[in-house]
Amino acid sequence: MTRGTLLYIGQRTLLIVLTAFIVSSIVFIGVHQLPGNAFVGERRTSAASQQALLQHYGLDKPWPQQYGTWVTGVLTRGDLGESLKQRGQKITPLLLREARVSVSLGLFAMAFCIIFGMGLGILAAVKQNTWIDYVASFLATVGYSMPNFVTAFLLILLTVTGFYAWSGGNFYEDIGWGKLEQIPVPAIALGLLPMTLITRLTRASMLEVIRQDYVRTAWAKGLRSRVVIVRHALRNALIPVITVLGPITTGVITGSVVIEYLFGIPGLGKEFVSSIFQRDYNVVIAVFTFYAVLVGLANLAVDLVYPILDPRIRY
Amino acid sequence: MAPLLQVEDLKTHFHLRDGVVKAVDGITFHVDKGETVGIVGESGSGKSITSLSIMRLVPEPGRIVHGRILFGANGQPKDVVKMTDEEIRDFRGSDVSMIFQDPMTSLNPVLRIGFQVREAMSAHDRFSDEQSKSRVVPLLKKVRIPGAADRTKAFPHQFSGGMRQRVMIAMGLSNEPSLLIADEPTTALDVTVQAQIIELLRDLNREMGTAIILITHNLAVVASICTRVIVMYAGRIVEEGYTRDIFKNPQHPYTWSLLRSMPRLDAARHSKLLTISGLPPDMSNPPPGCKFHPRCRFRVDRCLEEEPPLGEVGPNQFARCWVLMRNALVTQPEKAAAAEVPIPPLTAEPAQIDQRSEPDRPGAVKA
Ligand SMILES: Nc1ncnc2c1ncn2[C@@H]1O[C@H](COP(=O)(O)OP(=O)(O)O)[C@@H](O)[C@H]1O
Ligand code: SF4
Ligand SMILES: [Mg+2]
Repeated sequence: MTRGTLLYIGQRTLLIVLTAFIVSSIVFIGVHQLPGNAFVGERRTSAASQQALLQHYGLDKPWPQQYGTWVTGVLTRGDLGESLKQRGQKITPLLLREARVSVSLGLFAMAFCIIFGMGLGILAAVKQNTWIDYVASFLATVGYSMPNFVTAFLLILLTVTGFYAWSGGNFYEDIGWGKLEQIPVPAIALGLLPMTLITRLTRASMLEVIRQDYVRTAWAKGLRSRVVIVRHALRNALIPVITVLGPITTGVITGSVVIEYLFGIPGLGKEFVSSIFQRDYNVVIAVFTFYAVLVGLANLAVDLVYPILDPRIRY
Repeated sequence: MAPLLQVEDLKTHFHLRDGVVKAVDGITFHVDKGETVGIVGESGSGKSITSLSIMRLVPEPGRIVHGRILFGANGQPKDVVKMTDEEIRDFRGSDVSMIFQDPMTSLNPVLRIGFQVREAMSAHDRFSDEQSKSRVVPLLKKVRIPGAADRTKAFPHQFSGGMRQRVMIAMGLSNEPSLLIADEPTTALDVTVQAQIIELLRDLNREMGTAIILITHNLAVVASICTRVIVMYAGRIVEEGYTRDIFKNPQHPYTWSLLRSMPRLDAARHSKLLTISGLPPDMSNPPPGCKFHPRCRFRVDRCLEEEPPLGEVGPNQFARCWVLMRNALVTQPEKAAAAEVPIPPLTAEPAQIDQRSEPDRPGAVKA
């Protein structure tokens, strides 16, 4: 790693911290503009006990002061505060536990969309204008026009109801979390849309690269076709594909909100949705900030892959 | 002795939606062992497709539709056209190598120079892995890349155009092929670098005995290294012979015009140069008769209807013309002498020969 690379990582990290700061303050301000509070809906609370609760969580203080306390807690102790709904629950360990779930799901989805997206794209390009290409391109177009909740719905219909009926109740998807075999279906639901994007991009990029002079040179050297395709064409074709991995990672992270909710997966996304419904503002702020950092880190990771693939890029 | 390469009646056509483009249409020539042969002609005359046919690298939708390409001096020559996929793979880069016009785009941008040279050897079994590895630096030295030992780890973008072309040559020669095809290897380079590359090719030909087919539109380059020259026009050979004969006594009006349009060192710096006006024929709809007749100042009636054969016009010299320059210079001396000759229009657009002092203007002989 060169000094330039380290400097670049430093700059980007600083930028992520700055983004997290801005995101958290915007959400913080926004949330405090909303009427009512977390305890409004609770049945057993009198006006007096509500006041006590507000006091306990420091919600009676002016919000700049609240924000100051919160930021200090985050920076000094990594403490994101306490849940307003799950009494006594510290948010940091909660989010870390849930982030593990979301990250496993996200990595599965990314692996799925990268491996199958690139595979299908290469196949379609190498077999251009054959039925393989047409089928791959058709699937890519269909998948691309389906929002992930529709995909999720269809997959649930297929793997739960469908499989159950066809196998006479012996074999079906058991929706939920905790077992390895419960990961693929939601991961596919999450990864299908970005997969189709990668398929289309890889195909287009491969077709472009296959016509390049250096690929003709590779053939002229007498290299085997596998070497020409993989080492000479694919390596170059992947460069533009890597460009979209940043936005795709962001898409997978945000998409997980819907998918986790639909599949009942106890991850960040599900927490995010329920915290909003429950007006658990402390959790809302924490999850938002967490997402901002996650997106930043994912994009940084992608950007660090570039120079490995393309030696012309140096930081 | 059998020639190293014998191309017989080669036809490479492109079947397009709106017709057939006969990019190469029945050419026959040979290259002897260790020989340097030049192929000249304007852009679009079929030079690249000829060489790509020899490598069986004709781009889609092009096809070799006819002819034989026999390769191999000793024993039984093999027909490249009939080779299996594996045979042609092992033939490329090992028996015949090719280097291309644009060195800026011909090397893989993401792979190291040394690796790209080594890889050319690993693809064939002439050298073991260790030999391939240890040959890289000497090869780069041979093509005169300064500081060769330190530059194997460099990427192509760290090299100039001339240096990249040297790398291409090193790569091409790495398996010691008996034939190197260089398709306009200096066209994309600036003049001083051009001269260095041509000199390098000449020296390598002498040292290693590698036969060279040099494709160029630059007649000065042909004169400096090729013993024989083939002139192509519209997918055909229009003249062929020893360089010194053709330069002294061109028999085809096209060759004659090419030579008249060539800037000469011994001529006054601003002497008028002749350029061949008019466009090369539209290859999907070539003219009847002699393909050159719309641009020919010496044409006779016959030229419009009947295509002349490639006939022997002297010892080892062939030309495809009904009139031939030696007759034209006698019977139509005024046309030969004139810089400009009014050519009776065949179509709405009259052809003309115009005068220009700049040798490199667009529309001049250019490939
Ligand atoms: N990919 C292609 N598709 C269609 N026609 C082509 C293609 N490549 C070459 N040709 C035709 O072949 C002719 C000869 O091309 P080429 O051999 O490249 O010419 P040169 O190298 O002499 O400039 C061109 O005039 C063009 O009409
Ligand atoms: S055959 Fe006729 S038209 Fe063709 S080059 Fe000769 S003189 Fe000119
Ligand atoms: Mg060419």
